[in-house]
Amino acid sequence: MGEILGRVVATERRPNTPHEFHFWTALDAPVGIGTIVRVEGTNPVSGHLPRVYGVIVEGFSYSDLETPLHDVLGADGSPDRASDAPTRRTEIRLYKGAVLRHVPDDPLQPVPLGSVFLASEQDVAVALRMDAYMKEGQSTGIPIGLYRAGAMASPIFLDADFLLGPEAAHLNITGVSGLATKTSAVEWLLGSIFAHFPEKKGTVAALCFNVKGPDLCFLDQPATRLEPSDLELYDKLGVPPAPFANVEYFAPYTARGYSLNTLRSNESLSHNLRPLTWGLREVLQYAEVLLNKDDVDAKADALIDFIRERVVDQDFQDAALGTTPHRVQSFTELERFFRELLRAMEEKNHEQWRTHHVATIRKVRNRLTNISTRCRGLVTDDGTVSDLPWGAFQDRGVYVVDVANLEEDAQDLIFARVVTQLRERLEKRTLGVDHVVVFVDELNKYAPSDGPDTYVRKMLLDVAERGRYLGLVLFAAQQFRSQVHRRVVGNSGTALFGRMDSDELATPGYATLAPATRTKLATLDKGELMVRHPHFTQPVFVRFPRPAVLSGREGVEKFPPAEEPTLDEAIVRALRPLDRTITLDWVKETIALADEDEVLRARNRTLQVRPDDPKAFFRAQLKRRIPAETVAPRPRPAIRTSPNDDPYAF
Amino acid sequence: MTTLGRNGREGRVRESYAAPSGGANVREVQRVLAQHGGSAPAARGGSLETHSTTITPPRLDAAQVVEGSRLEARVIVGAPVAACGGFLDGIQRSVVAWYPRAMLPAIHATVAAAIRTRAHDRTLHTWRGAPLVERALYLPVALAGAELVAALGAAGVSVVDTLPPDEHAGDRHPQELIGVARQAIQERRAQLEERLATEWCATEQLPLYVDGGISGFAAASRSPLAIGVVKSHRTLYVDAEGMATLAALEPGQRSSAMRVASRGRTQVASWYLRLRAEGDPLGGLVRIEVAEPGFNSERADLVSRWVLAEREPAALPDARWRVMAYGIRDCEEYLRAVAG
Repeated sequence: MGEILGRVVATERRPNTPHEFHFWTALDAPVGIGTIVRVEGTNPVSGHLPRVYGVIVEGFSYSDLETPLHDVLGADGSPDRASDAPTRRTEIRLYKGAVLRHVPDDPLQPVPLGSVFLASEQDVAVALRMDAYMKEGQSTGIPIGLYRAGAMASPIFLDADFLLGPEAAHLNITGVSGLATKTSAVEWLLGSIFAHFPEKKGTVAALCFNVKGPDLCFLDQPATRLEPSDLELYDKLGVPPAPFANVEYFAPYTARGYSLNTLRSNESLSHNLRPLTWGLREVLQYAEVLLNKDDVDAKADALIDFIRERVVDQDFQDAALGTTPHRVQSFTELERFFRELLRAMEEKNHEQWRTHHVATIRKVRNRLTNISTRCRGLVTDDGTVSDLPWGAFQDRGVYVVDVANLEEDAQDLIFARVVTQLRERLEKRTLGVDHVVVFVDELNKYAPSDGPDTYVRKMLLDVAERGRYLGLVLFAAQQFRSQVHRRVVGNSGTALFGRMDSDELATPGYATLAPATRTKLATLDKGELMVRHPHFTQPVFVRFPRPAVLSGREGVEKFPPAEEPTLDEAIVRALRPLDRTITLDWVKETIALADEDEVLRARNRTLQVRPDDPKAFFRAQLKRRIPAETVAPRPRPAIRTSPNDDPYAF
Repeated sequence: MTTLGRNGREGRVRESYAAPSGGANVREVQRVLAQHGGSAPAARGGSLETHSTTITPPRLDAAQVVEGSRLEARVIVGAPVAACGGFLDGIQRSVVAWYPRAMLPAIHATVAAAIRTRAHDRTLHTWRGAPLVERALYLPVALAGAELVAALGAAGVSVVDTLPPDEHAGDRHPQELIGVARQAIQERRAQLEERLATEWCATEQLPLYVDGGISGFAAASRSPLAIGVVKSHRTLYVDAEGMATLAALEPGQRSSAMRVASRGRTQVASWYLRLRAEGDPLGGLVRIEVAEPGFNSERADLVSRWVLAEREPAALPDARWRVMAYGIRDCEEYLRAVAG
């Protein structure tokens, strides 16, 4: 039963209720805000002694003084005298507990007067209803951290059915930046999910958007230091302290197109870094992401639909365009199509083509062909595609899309297309895995509670509201939860809170928390979290270990980003992972006569196809040029002399 | 059941909510009495301790000065020093519980006494883990009748006869009977206090700060450990000249010691000590009683320093804080909580 920690007290002015109670303890009792306790009733109800579990949400301390003035008077205004008094004043530690669970839970009665005990590990499991999903052989528990009270430490588990669906899903993390809350917690939790996600529930992968700096750029590299206390946590929680074994990185090219636009550009890490480039077909489907409502009215929308349905990726023939069919597969070919169409209309002095006004055609041409400029590096003119491994996602695989250095348009396009693809493929069961965790940081930017209704926000709302049925789970993070769209946070079954900003805690969303709990949230240590989960009646505080992966800051120190290369160097860097015999001299010689666009196109194509003989394939992509020959000057013929008998000669 | 705390001290958290037993409470007593007729008090009265009582008239009773030839103010040599290891006090609560017969009040009383000891961390705890608590019904047995007394005894109610067996109680005024009962209750409380003081002095090494005089104690009044501190001064043991000396005492000064002897009580050494300055000549003034054997001026100074040390922390918010040690207030609060 354990040592008695305190005693429940109730007065008429401060009575106990079914959801709240008060108890006092000795001054040195090892309890504080967030401690879980057990109350043992003494009067049986329906033949059972009631047992109540609660968590401390508020604490009070006071002495037998009626007013502070009495203390001043008693010490003659001298604080020294007060502290030198031979006797310490009587002091009370009174705590308010919020009920986690009644056993039995019916009839639901006020918390009885009884003895209070520190919850044991078994008590914690009962109090948080973990006993329902931690049954031997049928466990769906995912460790989230270690709850500590006094000398007792108890692992806290989330229910996979409520974290990754289908019962509930999604996770939302809030916390100030730089205190190992958001990114670290997600890295830790993904490792925990990969280690504990039940086999019978299928396969799971994670897709992370790296939205700032090098945060998620080194998930496959081991942490430089894990303290013994961290290793102890890993051990207690049953998660191996190792980096992710199967990680693939994707990043678009820089605008210049030589290198990938990521801080993970160190050559020694290039083995799992892939370009992310899309062509016309991939982009056109999401044109509305990049075109606002002013750009795309009903008429323009109709023309875009027509192009998408009737022109792209097929032979298109029209009397106005002559007899040769048009096949539009890239932005370059689209531009050519528009150019010829408009020239034909001008020549025939037509203002309309297939009900589309020339002004609309010009507008759509301008907006669409502009996309490849606005999203240079991601969208290719030539239609080269290097994409995520749709259909071949691997169990326990992590796919990181680095959008940190991209323009907003390109970021929006990537979010929209990637998540839509995930949704569609999960719906059709053709992704390769059954569940995907999508991690998006900076939700204040991508799904704000106010501001324009962007495509990305709509997409995030859709995932939050419908994703759990598909196995599409959103792990989202932000600094200010109060400023994120309420349907996104409201649909998150699980919420984590790290150290919080005081101003944020003053917003109405936190009014349900006791002032002491809010104070604790404002002063949480690194690695501490407050957890809300559907099974937990009240939030619980846990500690999680440092992630076993290299942090972004340490990563860029250990693996400094490569300098912006020359064209030759860029080609070597891109192709060497395919063929280690490729050298700078070989590249220089091979591309000596080719222009830059052509070389980059050849590189992209080679990376896309990943041929058996990269050298030959790359060379074949370049236009054949006849090398210049030195031609020997023809012998100059001798100047003829005039005939001697020419009568007209001088 | 008491428990041991983490630091090995006796537990401050009890498993049961029941107050220390000590006998039947007033409701239990009323249930028994109601089965034997009689009547309840017209309105449930409050504690008799809050009612006006016959008070001994204030008086002067000059005592023999044993330090010098006349009463004078003395400067105490040495700074205050905390030496007391325990604080002894008692409480009593009494109510008219029933009228078994017309004009025959039966008084239910709770008397309790405790010593609060000071631990190394300067916190106070109950000596031996529990107070002495007694609950009983006080009434003249001869008037109540044997049958009623037997029934009370069978129900586990302790009965205290407030009159000697040979004294006829029939012609007593009910208020007089109440007064007699209150006298008996007071004596019982003093007995409990004495019991604790005697046990302390027999077993402990540190001085005991007793709320009130010690001359009523038998053994303890002769022990160097018992220090009686009297807060009220209805009897001043000085003459008119001595009164002027008392009025002129500065805070931290004491009077010359006297020999105080009352009938039926032990003779003790006593002196006045000004704890705090106040406009009232008797304000902030206490009278200290110690055992006479071994008394000298040095001891008077030493004991005065012990008592002066207990001025902090102030016993606020108690109205008597200027003359009350915090340990005594704590003891009273404790007794009210567990037995009041």
